[in-house]
Parts: sequence; C-alpha cells; structure tokens
Amino acid sequence: MKPPSMVLPDYREQSPETRQRFEAFYKRPVKLRVEGLTKSFDAGNKRIRVLDRLNFQVYRRELITVIGPSGCGKSTLIRILAGLDQGTLGSYLLEGRAVSDPGSDRGMVFQQYSLFPWLTVKRNVMFGLEVSGKPSIDAEKEALQWIDLVGLGGFVNAYPRQLSGGMQQRVAIARVLANQPQILFMDEPFGALDAMTRSQMQAHLLEIWRNVDITIMLVTHDLDEAIYLSDRILVLKPNPGRIEEIIEVPVSRPRSPEQFLYGSFLSLKKHLEALIHPHKEEVVKKSPMVRMTDKYDRVE
Amino acid sequence: MKKSHSKNGSWFRVRRSLSSRSGRLLKLFSFLLPLGLWVLVSYVPFIWHPDIALELSADRSGSTTVFTAGDHLSKEYFLGFVTTIREENVGVLEERNNSEWNGGSPKFRRTNLKIIRHLRPLAIANNWLSAKEAESDANLFAVWGKVARGEYSDQRRSLSLENKTIIIRNWELMSQQGNLFEVKKLPLIPLEKLVPQGRPSNPVYLPAPDQVWQRFREDFGFFSESDRSSMMSRYGHSLKIVFLGFLFSAVLGIPLGILCGTFDFFSKLVEPFVDFFRYMPAPAFSTLLVAVFLAHDAPKVALVFLGTFFQMVLVIANTTRRLDYGLLEAAQTLGAKGFGLIRKVIIPGITPSLYNDMRILLGWAWTWLVIAELIGVKSGLTEFIETQGRWRNFDRVYPVIILIGLTGFFTDQILASWRKYFFPWTEEAAQETRGFLGRFFSWLLDRNFYYGKKSDPGNRIL
Repeated sequence: MKPPSMVLPDYREQSPETRQRFEAFYKRPVKLRVEGLTKSFDAGNKRIRVLDRLNFQVYRRELITVIGPSGCGKSTLIRILAGLDQGTLGSYLLEGRAVSDPGSDRGMVFQQYSLFPWLTVKRNVMFGLEVSGKPSIDAEKEALQWIDLVGLGGFVNAYPRQLSGGMQQRVAIARVLANQPQILFMDEPFGALDAMTRSQMQAHLLEIWRNVDITIMLVTHDLDEAIYLSDRILVLKPNPGRIEEIIEVPVSRPRSPEQFLYGSFLSLKKHLEALIHPHKEEVVKKSPMVRMTDKYDRVE
Repeated sequence: MKKSHSKNGSWFRVRRSLSSRSGRLLKLFSFLLPLGLWVLVSYVPFIWHPDIALELSADRSGSTTVFTAGDHLSKEYFLGFVTTIREENVGVLEERNNSEWNGGSPKFRRTNLKIIRHLRPLAIANNWLSAKEAESDANLFAVWGKVARGEYSDQRRSLSLENKTIIIRNWELMSQQGNLFEVKKLPLIPLEKLVPQGRPSNPVYLPAPDQVWQRFREDFGFFSESDRSSMMSRYGHSLKIVFLGFLFSAVLGIPLGILCGTFDFFSKLVEPFVDFFRYMPAPAFSTLLVAVFLAHDAPKVALVFLGTFFQMVLVIANTTRRLDYGLLEAAQTLGAKGFGLIRKVIIPGITPSLYNDMRILLGWAWTWLVIAELIGVKSGLTEFIETQGRWRNFDRVYPVIILIGLTGFFTDQILASWRKYFFPWTEEAAQETRGFLGRFFSWLLDRNFYYGKKSDPGNRIL
C-alpha cells in the first residue's frame, strides 16, 4: 500500500511575518563579506579546486548554516574564515576589515571540543580573557557568568575528562563566547553527540543566540539541524565547491521542536534532500557472497 | 567474597585484566620466581653444580699450577687431578718397597712438610684448629696423629676412607721418631700425598643466597660503622654522577626538544645531527672526555650527559609533536599567539608525557653510570664492583649490583605513583589509587586538592 501522498507547500513560500522578518534582516549591517574566495591545492600533477569563487554575505546577528555533500569544502570554508587555513584567491572582510590570521574576533567551536584537558572548566573559559591580558579577578568573574549562561554553574572546578560530551561542548561554547567575538564559527559542533543530547544542544544554542549579541555560522551535515537553527542555509556543491543556493528558511521564529512536522519545514527538507543526495543509491546486485532476501520474504 | 578466578581458564583471558588480588599475587611471584630459582640452583645438590670446590688439595710433582682449598675445578679436571695424585702415591709406595732411596734423603723433609700442611683447610673447616692455631706446623702434626688414632668423631667435612688410610699409613712413618713435631724428625722418605677431595658446587660466579646475604651485611656495615660510611659515600657518589648528568641533559635537552617539536625550523636544523650523534656510543668518547674535563667527576658527569642528552632531544621533540594540534588551533582562535602558545598550551599540554619520558630517560642515565665510573679515576660503587670482581669475590659484587637495580626501580616506582598527583586531569588520575605508596600520597594530598570539596560532583558526571 502506498503512503497517503502529502501536499507540501513550495519551500520558497513565506508567511507574511517571515517575509517581514527577512525584509528587516537585509537592512542589518553586513558582518562578513566574502568575495571570490577560492581555495585550490596540488594533488599529484592535478590542481584541485576545493572552493571556487564564493561570494556571499553574513548579516549581523544572523545564524547561517553551511551544508553540502561530503567533499564540498564546507569545513575548509569555515577554517579559512576562522584563519586556520589560507585561501588561494579572493578576500573576506569582517566588519569591512580584511583579516587572515586567526584571532579572538572570530571564535571557533570544533567537533572534538578541543578543551584544554589540564584546565578546569573555569580556567578553560578564562583562557581567552587571560590571553588578552585581562586581570584574573575580572576574568574569573566574567568566566563564571558565561559558565552560568551555558548551565554548568555546578561544574566550575571539574576537569574536562569528568564531563560528558554535551557538557564539554557547552564549555567550549562558553569559552568562545567569553571572548565576545564578532562572529562565531562552528564546525559540526554536535556531530559527535548522541541524538538526544544533540537536540538538547540545538535548543540550547538557539537560546544563547537569542540572548547574546552574536552572529553564528555553522557547518553541519544534519538537514534537520540546519533548518531548525538557521535564518538562511548556504548549500555548497562539490567539484569544485561552489554555492548551489542560498535559501531563506521559511519556518517561523521562535523555533520549537514541533516545527519539525510543519509543512514549510518538510518542504525545505525535501528540497535540501534532493540537492544533497541527487541520485538514489543503487541496490546491491545479487552476488554469491551476500545472502540476499527472497522476494517472498520481503518485510515491507 | 566471590572467587572471580575459580572458573576454568579465567587466568588467561585475552586483553582482560585480572582481579587486583590475582594481580598482586602475580606481581609478588614475578620477584619470588627468580629468587626461588636461585635458591633451587644453589641448595639442591643435584641441580647443576658443574664444579668441584676443593676441600683438600695436593701438589702435583712437575706441575706449576697450584690449587688450594676453596678453588673451583670442573668435574673432568678434578678427576684427572685425583688420578694423577693416586698414580704418584702408587709410585711412592713402589719405590719405597724397592728401597731405592737407601734410607732416604733430607730433601724429602720439605715435601713431607708440605703434605702435612695440606690438611690445614680441613682442620679449620672442622674446627679442629682455629685459623691462628693452624698456622703452627706442630699443631697440624698433632692433628694428623689424632686423625690417625680416630680421635675425631664430629666431622662436618669428612675425610674420605682413602685419605684416612693414607693418614694412618703416613702417621706410622711420621711418628717413628716420637709424637712431638720437629722438622728434623720428619721421615727422610716421601710420604703419600693426600688425595684431593671436594664437593660439587656451582661456579664461583654464582654464589649462594646466604653467602651473598652474609657479604651484604659485612660490606654495608651491619657490623662496622666505618664499612657503612665508606659504602654510603660510594653510593652517594654514584647517585651524584647520575643525577648531575641527568640534570644537565634535562636543563638543555627539554627546551631544545620542545623547540624542535614546535618549530620545524629547529627540527630541521638540529635533529638530523642529533640523530646521527646518538649512534656514536657515549663510552667511545671516554678518553676524550677525560682529556677535556680532566680528572675527578666532570668527565663522568659528561659521559652520562652525552648518553642521555641526544636521546632526550629526540624523544621530547616527538612528544611535543604528538600534542593534539586541535588544541593549538583552539588556542589561536582564542587569541593566543607565538610564545604564548608555547607557554600556555604546548608546555602544560605535554608535561604528563614529558614526565613519563623523563622517567624512562632516567633509566637510561643509570645504564651509563657504570661506564662513567670506570673512566678516569675509578670511583663509586663501580670501583667496588671492579675491584672485588677482579679478586673473584662475586659474593661481594652481587649486593652492589642489586643496590643499583633497586635504586633505579624504586625511583621509577615512586615517580610513577606521584604522576597522578602532579597531573590530576589525566585519565589515569581517575583510576583508583592502589598500593601502599598510592594510598599514602592520596592521604597526603587528596584534601581539597583537585576535586574541590568532597561534596563536589565526583568522577564522571553523566
């Protein structure tokens, strides 16, 4: 029996409020302007373009997500923007200034947390403040506020190894936020977490983003996550890495988990699915090595 | 308590740890096993014992090699020795019957006196005479008489029947001129020689545990204050050489190693040569070092330095390179730059591994000690080993060797047990403290040191 067909709205269809929100959105100042950004490297005798002439802008207080099939260069893009890698051509401007080296004005949250294992939660969060030369009394006071914000007030003196993955990632977020960067890059920040913790962390991130003056650019491979979190989604396609589409998410704000079932949510998800996995995977051919199921034996 | 290893085969589970009780038991056995082997080989007579330790010796006519009681001979050689003496005795008796000597010659008095003296070690071993008394030929002469008359009943080292009859026959000749010793009254015809006697024994290089223990108590001053202080000053001197050499190489090697691991510039500039240099064995430089640093301790310290420094640079450079690069990236995005990265990330990040490296390298330094103490003017424990070894007093050598081993072993064990207190953030600090030392230090340091208050959430939240 076929499932009942569902009529989904076009993913570009926006409710009046959403349209209004985006009108206001584009009037905000541009935080990050990327122009003609290209990254290529030599592999043997071939020259491979990982990123090819990317142009886009990120607006103040935006939460933008980068998605794309694996190998499209989304991690490379975010690492270049954070200053950890260098682009080959093109430029990017943060608040109108060209930047290239890593710095505390661009924060980065890594998939593997990268907390300093020899420092307690508090000292980890104080790290950036101390580096910038803040007296340690002030740094401690600020750090404690940020730790409270991510809900780890009870664990200020714990070492990272004593915390679960989700808690470690919260510390990492607090550590970056303490520097009050212009923009926060996140490279698959919840990729290493289990599904339950991941959805908690997504809600938590939205809450932080709502309360703190911060612009966030996040790389993920999870379509639900992308739609649930972002204002706009930047879809990359591989070989060479180019921008396929920049999509305005039609789902209304504030977001909540029920919206996973909204028509606007599902239609966008269907569209993204088609963009990222354009071909259906071929069924494994029958081979004597593999015990395949009989056609009378089907389970569905 | 439930028996965890009563099930069949549970002592041997692939890559699974044993219970702590079984573990402790095996650790104990790992020391008892070699010790037991030593005891077995030393005290069970039919195991090994390839040599004969002489109790009675004899002079062979025409041979310049002289053995005295206490010497070790191989069994084959000993049999040949005995046969030679027996043949000589047969010759003596035959010639005596042929009365070739015509009433004898005064020159035989000297050889006869030697034969009388050959009983001395046995007389001392059996407490018939003290070592002092045995120096007098008259006393020995009297012992011969008593043995011949069968006056000794308790014999720790018994005489063979063959030797008893020889003694009786000889005594007849010796006592013809009276029971009192006088060189002039010794027989003018040759006496029969005592046939060499001995007991199976291990080679001289494997003394029994009780001998070693006895020597240990003597040499380490259980009986004399001056012996103790001399051994302690040797020990102190050896420790000084090792630790000074190690200290100098650490002071130079750690910073250089960290630089090499941090900057490719230093790695390319320094490491190829260091890599080459470490293949030149440090002892090869010993004469050179003496020429450069002259006498006393300087060349010795320099040798320990040479032996450890180059390894140290490479090991530390590698340890530094193994630090998760992600931590450096994170620090950079938090604003750390240049020297700050080294000071705030690299150094604290590698210290736990560095600490382990240093433990291993300290072991290396110990291995250079013996060679270092041999160069220039011999000194320290090694001089003792060297001198006593030359005299084949191996029972005095073993305690010193074991002392060196124990020092290295305990230094390492103590450093290892301190590790979790220096580095409470590492995984191993989370594991339960075990063993006496561990519990002692945890009692000493556990108070509010790294988990804050006891009421704080403990290990492994969530």
